[in-house]
Amino acid sequence: MFPMTLPLVLPMTVAPDLVESWLPESLLPVAYLVAGILFVLSIGGLSSQESATRGNYFGIAGMVLAVVATMLAPEVASYGVMAGAIGLGAVIGIALAARVAMTSMPQLVAALHSFVGLAAVLVGLSTYLDPGHPLEGSEAIIHGVEILLDVAIGAVTFTGSVVAWAKLDGRLSGKPLLLPGRHILNLVLLAAIVGLAVPFLQAESGEGGVWLLAIAGVASILGIHLVASIGGADMPVVVSLLNSYSGWTAAAAGFMLGNDLLIITGALVGSSGAILSSIMCKAMNRSIWNVVFGGFGSDGSAPAASADQPQGEWTEIPLGDLIDRILDAQEVVIVPGYGMAVGQAQRAVDSFTRDLQGRGIRVRFAIHPVAGRLPGHMNVLLAEAGVPYDIVMEMDEINGDLPKTDVVLVIGANDIVNPSAQTDPASPIAGMPVLEVWKSELTVVFKRGRGVGYAGVVNPLFFREKTRMFFGDARDSMEKINAELKNRS
Amino acid sequence: MKIGIPKEGRAGERRVAATPESTKALIEMGFEVCVAQNAGSLASFPDASFEAAGAQIVDQAQAWACDLVLQVNPPSVAEIAQMREGGSLISLLRPAQNEALLEALMAKKATALALDQIPRITRAQKMDVLSSMGNIAGYRAVIEASQHYGGFFGGQMTAAGKSAPAKVLVIGAGVAGLSALGAARGLGATVYAFDVRASAKEQVESLGGRFLTVEIEESGETAGGYAKTMSKEFIDAEMALFREHAPTTDVVITTALIPGRAAPKLWLADMLTLMKPGSVVVDLAAEQGGNCEGTVAGEVVQVDGVNIVGYTDLVSRLPTIASRFFAKNVQNLISELGGAEGWHIDHEDEAVRGALAVEAGELRFPAPKIERPPPPVVAPPAEVIAPEPKPESGLGRWIGSAVFVSVFAAIGMLAPIEFVQHFSVFVLSCFVGWQLIWNVNHALHTPLMAVTNAISGIILVGGILQTGRGESITAMPVILGAVAILLASINVVGGFLVTHRMLAMFRRGN
Repeated sequence: MFPMTLPLVLPMTVAPDLVESWLPESLLPVAYLVAGILFVLSIGGLSSQESATRGNYFGIAGMVLAVVATMLAPEVASYGVMAGAIGLGAVIGIALAARVAMTSMPQLVAALHSFVGLAAVLVGLSTYLDPGHPLEGSEAIIHGVEILLDVAIGAVTFTGSVVAWAKLDGRLSGKPLLLPGRHILNLVLLAAIVGLAVPFLQAESGEGGVWLLAIAGVASILGIHLVASIGGADMPVVVSLLNSYSGWTAAAAGFMLGNDLLIITGALVGSSGAILSSIMCKAMNRSIWNVVFGGFGSDGSAPAASADQPQGEWTEIPLGDLIDRILDAQEVVIVPGYGMAVGQAQRAVDSFTRDLQGRGIRVRFAIHPVAGRLPGHMNVLLAEAGVPYDIVMEMDEINGDLPKTDVVLVIGANDIVNPSAQTDPASPIAGMPVLEVWKSELTVVFKRGRGVGYAGVVNPLFFREKTRMFFGDARDSMEKINAELKNRS
Repeated sequence: MKIGIPKEGRAGERRVAATPESTKALIEMGFEVCVAQNAGSLASFPDASFEAAGAQIVDQAQAWACDLVLQVNPPSVAEIAQMREGGSLISLLRPAQNEALLEALMAKKATALALDQIPRITRAQKMDVLSSMGNIAGYRAVIEASQHYGGFFGGQMTAAGKSAPAKVLVIGAGVAGLSALGAARGLGATVYAFDVRASAKEQVESLGGRFLTVEIEESGETAGGYAKTMSKEFIDAEMALFREHAPTTDVVITTALIPGRAAPKLWLADMLTLMKPGSVVVDLAAEQGGNCEGTVAGEVVQVDGVNIVGYTDLVSRLPTIASRFFAKNVQNLISELGGAEGWHIDHEDEAVRGALAVEAGELRFPAPKIERPPPPVVAPPAEVIAPEPKPESGLGRWIGSAVFVSVFAAIGMLAPIEFVQHFSVFVLSCFVGWQLIWNVNHALHTPLMAVTNAISGIILVGGILQTGRGESITAMPVILGAVAILLASINVVGGFLVTHRMLAMFRRGN
């Protein structure tokens, strides 16, 4: 039987001389325990900016410890292959991560998720082909279910992340793919996985490979369809959901391999992603099911709402007047949105901020929880540009100050400043908490085109009396303003 | 089409319904403009300036006989008699109070638009004379107050002694009240403003005033705006509040008006006695009977040493700007009506229909009520439509608990012991993760995602176990394991590096 306290795989079939290794057998689980603690400290470190960098080092230490300890495990050999694979992976990883622009961060994160998914599928297949020791009865069935879960969740994560990457990278349209009967399709695919599981679990050991591949195939289609049917505006939720899936995959692999470290880490990551998704959904006042299965913004409800949209005329503000108003102001709040990321305007925004601060004008940023394409996306972009994080406020922190604000600049944001979320129960974004920019003295909306936001909703903010429009690419507009400010100094 | 601008008939009126500037605009719209002699002279618009703008100077009768007559005040019946048959009139009319005028207009088969009836909607604001005149009245009220007040409005500290800022109380934070608030603040006074609508608080504070209200749950605010009557408790509390402030208040400006009804009495005789001698009350509601007990319409009187200003022509005391604003409002309305060529009374146009009192001799007042959702500013946003979180049904909770219990029972009875151990680790880790993540700063959610992503590369360990075990590197499980190691290491290294890059960018100001 298994040693009761040893969760890791200790194959009974290996030669006795390997078990008689020079390392005590408790060392590996203890190393795993320490690695697990380091991961917990790593995530805990992210609770504040001051400790975040240290948190990342904890994570690295945990990972190094886990890998080294595993390699020293008595049954592990073939170091050459492993070293080669890790070395090559590290080089590719460094190349990807060192070069990526901060605006492409969402794509990179999605792409990295797909690697975890694919790796989990491969480990699952490998484990099935070589379980390490023979299993019987309920153990065999449980092990089969563990493999199956690992492969299925891994495949969903893999293809889902690939689709998410393609959407975020602009290789696929951000529009949701809405097949007729898509809910039924999801159910059919799920049923197919369950159906395929029966012959797989009944097959003789090592002969169910075909069924396992079929399960992987069906799960891949499910992953593609699940993500393809979610619109671009919901990408923050999707990315964090995939993050969660990648954790659950690792946890399933942990069960499959009997490895507690994988289980701990997978559970940490899985619950982290799940909570992030739920925070995002709460910020949009929608249920997670609505996001995952909704095909949001393109259901019958949206066109119905647009029929009686409040229409009106918008008023543009000339550059000179805008500068006058900004220079007269004491309090300026900037609301960045995805448009700032697209236009790569964050550096121009930063120098604008510095200019105003130099003139004694108080500038702060108001960040909506779902601005951008990742949770916290705007914070990262502003940090990249060098904006100090202590003038970057969350929605709840700053909403109360907006009525006292002289000028609000909305840079490439739309749905997150839409007053109809509060006033129009028929609006698709009804009930979503929004930044109440219209309460300020003057709201200037920087907008690329004259279209609607991602949710497809007309924004009555644009027609308000105290709102002015400033059309153009976000970066061009900010640079024009910066140039004009220089002239006035 | 000829537009006539007769001189205002009302005694003491200095305003005029057109200015040289608006005359020019009207001529551009295709009208001929005839201005009565000296119509604008009291507002500093001499006849020559009208002539320069392209108007003809005519006598009073000729001006009244034009196709369209523009006036500030409601005309008298005698003046209407001078209108031509089927002519049009734009002016203040107060149709609800002036039935005789409506009859005279109907008898003339006239068309009359009452400027005071233009609905207060955003689109019609450019034609809203009540707002533009209210603004002027509020400003002038402060000027009159300072005229009758024996001290500075702003505080001063000099070698000859110091003077505290005057304390001004504005009652009713409508357009006029807010304007008075702003003007008094501009002179340096400390300003308090009272309104029964809690929604006025924000506007008061935005102008630097301090909002006073009554500590009673019942607010004066319904979804639509004013409540008709406040409860007795509310009024008592309001009066107590005023009495509390009366001894320290130097200037009271009252602006409480209920359309078509006598003004409510808010500043009572005993409050006047409580005030310091030399204090000032400016009553903007004097024409409707006054908000203050003791107000005499059109006059300044002293009661218990307090000066009560009851002028009814505050707006007319700033005749130039008032005429310009009024004329601009009227010009905007005429443009809305299509100008000379496209002249058309459009019943579908909410602003025009609201103002339309008489059309070709037919009575059109009052305009049908238009169903409108309450303006968004009135209701506190959080309460508008935030959907009630559905209370979890008792049944659902029972089912959930039952499922929970049976899953755990099934695991306990069926699963092998090592699975149960792993399962315990799993469940506890989920709880640890759950607790940890809530503490993460929102701004760090992207780095969090990147770091958890890197950590989820722990699948690397699985790859190592699978690869390391195999004897031959060409065996399928080993190859699969090695590829898994490759992918997972990309993820681990890339994830940590990218997190590091992101975190390195966060810095504190200064």
